Amino acid sequence: MDAAHIRNFSIIAHIDHGKTTLSDRLLHRTGTVATRDMEEQLLDSMDLEQERGITIKAHPVTMLYQAKNGETYELNLIDTPGHVDFSYEVSRSLAACEGALLIIDAAQGVEAQTVANVHLATKQNLTIIPVINKIDLPHADVAATKAQMEDILAIPSENAILASAKEGIGIDDILEAIVARIPPPKATGAVSVQALGFDSYFDMYKGVVTHVRVFNGELHAGMQVQLLHSGKTVEIKEVGSFNPKPYVREKLETGETGYMTANIKSPKDVKMGDTITDARNPAPVLPGFKEIHPMVFSGLYPINTADYEHLKANLGKLQLNDSAFVYQAESSVALGFGFRCGFLGLLHLEIVQERLRREYDMDIIATYPSVVYRVVMTDGTVKEIDNPAFLPEPTYIERVEEPMVFAFVISPNEYIGDMMALLAEKRGEVDHTETLDPRRVMLTSTLPLSEILIDFHDRIKSITRGFGSMDYEHAGYLTSDMVKLDMLVNGESVDAFSCIVHRSKAEGRGRTLAAKLKEVIPRQQYQVSIQAAIGGKVVARETVSALRKDVTAKCYGGDISRKRKLLEKQKEGKKRMKSFGSVNIPQEAFIEVLKA
Amino acid sequence: MFEELAVEHLYVHVPFCAKKCAYCAFYSEAASGQLVNRYVEALVREMQWVASDLKPKTIFFGGGTPSLLNLGQWERVLQTIHRLGWHGAAEWTVECNPATVSLHKAKLLRDGGVNRVSMGAQSFDPALLDRLGRVHSREMIFKSFDILRAAGFDNLNVDLMFAIPGQTLASWRQTLAEAKALGSEHLSCYEVIYEEDTPLFEQLQTGAVQVDEDLACAMYDELLLAAADAGFQQYEVANFARHTASAAAEVPDRACRHNVNYWRGGSFHGLGPSAAGYVRGVRTRNWSNTTMYCEQLERGRRAIESTEELPPLARAGEIAAFGLRMTSGWPLEQFQRRTGFDLRQEWRPEIDRMMELGYGELNQQRFRLTSKGLRFADWAGAEFLRS
Repeated sequence: MDAAHIRNFSIIAHIDHGKTTLSDRLLHRTGTVATRDMEEQLLDSMDLEQERGITIKAHPVTMLYQAKNGETYELNLIDTPGHVDFSYEVSRSLAACEGALLIIDAAQGVEAQTVANVHLATKQNLTIIPVINKIDLPHADVAATKAQMEDILAIPSENAILASAKEGIGIDDILEAIVARIPPPKATGAVSVQALGFDSYFDMYKGVVTHVRVFNGELHAGMQVQLLHSGKTVEIKEVGSFNPKPYVREKLETGETGYMTANIKSPKDVKMGDTITDARNPAPVLPGFKEIHPMVFSGLYPINTADYEHLKANLGKLQLNDSAFVYQAESSVALGFGFRCGFLGLLHLEIVQERLRREYDMDIIATYPSVVYRVVMTDGTVKEIDNPAFLPEPTYIERVEEPMVFAFVISPNEYIGDMMALLAEKRGEVDHTETLDPRRVMLTSTLPLSEILIDFHDRIKSITRGFGSMDYEHAGYLTSDMVKLDMLVNGESVDAFSCIVHRSKAEGRGRTLAAKLKEVIPRQQYQVSIQAAIGGKVVARETVSALRKDVTAKCYGGDISRKRKLLEKQKEGKKRMKSFGSVNIPQEAFIEVLKA
Repeated sequence: MFEELAVEHLYVHVPFCAKKCAYCAFYSEAASGQLVNRYVEALVREMQWVASDLKPKTIFFGGGTPSLLNLGQWERVLQTIHRLGWHGAAEWTVECNPATVSLHKAKLLRDGGVNRVSMGAQSFDPALLDRLGRVHSREMIFKSFDILRAAGFDNLNVDLMFAIPGQTLASWRQTLAEAKALGSEHLSCYEVIYEEDTPLFEQLQTGAVQVDEDLACAMYDELLLAAADAGFQQYEVANFARHTASAAAEVPDRACRHNVNYWRGGSFHGLGPSAAGYVRGVRTRNWSNTTMYCEQLERGRRAIESTEELPPLARAGEIAAFGLRMTSGWPLEQFQRRTGFDLRQEWRPEIDRMMELGYGELNQQRFRLTSKGLRFADWAGAEFLRS
């Protein structure tokens, strides 16, 4: 197809505003998918995605659309993961487009994720087509939604399309607007082919299948291409597109979107956002490439130590389709052998854990998540620390910097006081307060990433009775007074509970952890002391008093066999305990605390 | 290693109770007259089975509630024992529930050769008796005790429990004082155990009751003091007896010899539903279900459900572990004779560890747990087990 008849676009929306329903409508209306083949939510293939209403991985879909002017257009819908954890993937997917449909629920109005997504799309200079969805709902308020669009998003509202994806209202208008308003792709004029690899998945037979958008020239089977950032040169085996099932095409030309395969065995060989070009006559790289770095780390351990190899194999399988997920073996005194895993964010972490539990039926425990701290040493060198165990001694540290986020929090007016208190508790600075409509305000706040890892979203939901929403973008690093908190059992550090925390919170956290540990550590024949310490200084202390006897029950002839078995079982159980000095602690105790 | 001669100890299980107690996981069922008769006949058959390999020095009728058998049923049992020539046992104990002792029955037993009665009093506190689901009252304990004395029993045991949910230290002291006043020859006192499939265990699971370890320990301390004060000598974790002879002895002379045989790893035949036996290294357990037990014997078969024979070292470990429950510990020579292993050699690391902790004492003659070590007899025993 000539570039003038190609349109590449994404759909951006807050969760549940109707992105998936609209995608399905478009596939249906363009005849890409017959009605009888329609499953609910065609593009979200994983159960987990459907359940949470989020898309983690989706294929770009090519639709052929005959416009009212009688001409046929190739419309490429490039779906994006709808969550900030995947903001780099979102930015790469958006980079493959010239325009975006912005969906806003007419009953809900602008939400936090709407704001964050519009920011991303604007950064990519995309043409935005606003769509006000769900206008058929009885409490739809189109006027208010338009006002919010203008006030909060600075998007002119007169061109907004009124639609109901569910009822099929406005679908033709949307398709016509895609053709009319989104500019056609333009060749870059480089010396040879330039294609953006914006996603990939692993196929058992074909190896890594890379999603590509051609910006200049063409890709076809048999070509030698170089991946400029990874430095690899490969021969293309196959190119094609999705409708939404993959189909082979002779070539992919300037402006077109699809996939290529090249016998690439490991997803790690294809970098997200890489530029693919002619190996013999390379063109320059496309802008915007970044190495992806995990933002959040956590130790994943099998609850049953015998499952270690099993876990290792399953992490490998997960990584095949999730190159952003990284892991390496580590061991913990408390938890045995496991893996230090890196994630793009908390949702990513939750998704990986859920998939391990559900799809792979694994029983796992995760340690307290940690962000990546930048430690500036007294000698001027900088270390990135994602594991509290590796935080250098304080005397060698000049300063510690922690990652910050810029968060958008939308809340009904009446909860604004509680919301400010929550932000303050989370060490957040409120930068702006904007009135969205007569009922709601939006707070923008800069706060540490580590503070929103645990319970932040849940707290917002509970404070606002479910009406609040939150999204964020990364906002660089700031110097912070971080300290390492250690939990000691009879003087020995229990690594699974060490954490890097802000000094103002260390004591409270130490106290909480010590109290929890006291609850779960079984009494021993000796007194057990539990201490929380910062550096060498103990900030909290609990004592598990010594047992002065074990069971002094009767034991006669009929009891002996049963009792022997019971004692053997207890003895066997003790062998599996972790010993800290003379103290034996069952692994279950640690797991209890980590779960809490 | 094993006795060459006939087995010298007999346990008989009587699986009937008027009502199941809240803490009890023993096999028992409600007594219907017909089933009890059937059981007695089956028991008579089972006695025949072991007759050729039994010359009892001790007999112990436990339960359940052996005293629940009526006069006629007891007569039948006693006749059989006489016919088999077992009635000369030096120690013959029958467990009694205070609600089921009549002078008639007590005399019948005493005249039949029974010379020791173990009375399941459990507590003197009416509220706790109720809590435990006991069928007898506090007054019945005193009354039964008088009846047994009147019938000529001069060797009586009283069973008590502590750490009962709701029991206070004051209540326990009171119970100990009343037990002392009763003047029995023997005292068995044990901490409540929460065994699966008992109402008490359920209550623990649901959080309706809690275990207060410190209180239980204080009660044990109180018990040791009170027992010594009342002239009892502790000879096992939960057992106390009077010593009447003037010469000192390793075990007090009113100790229950039948039970001592258990802790010393000696052989015994076990008869009755669910009864365990241990004969020359082979442990057996009978079918628990009374009807099934009866059917087996009626068909001319033994009613054994399972047998277990440990390899020599494991068996020795088990014998070591349970023998350490006695205050006299293990006489080294006796242990060697019984198991074929040298305690000091095979369990050197464990012995050293116990001594280091102040839990054990070793001399030329014996290894034993100290009074501190006895409080951790379960843990110490587990250390001596060998797989």
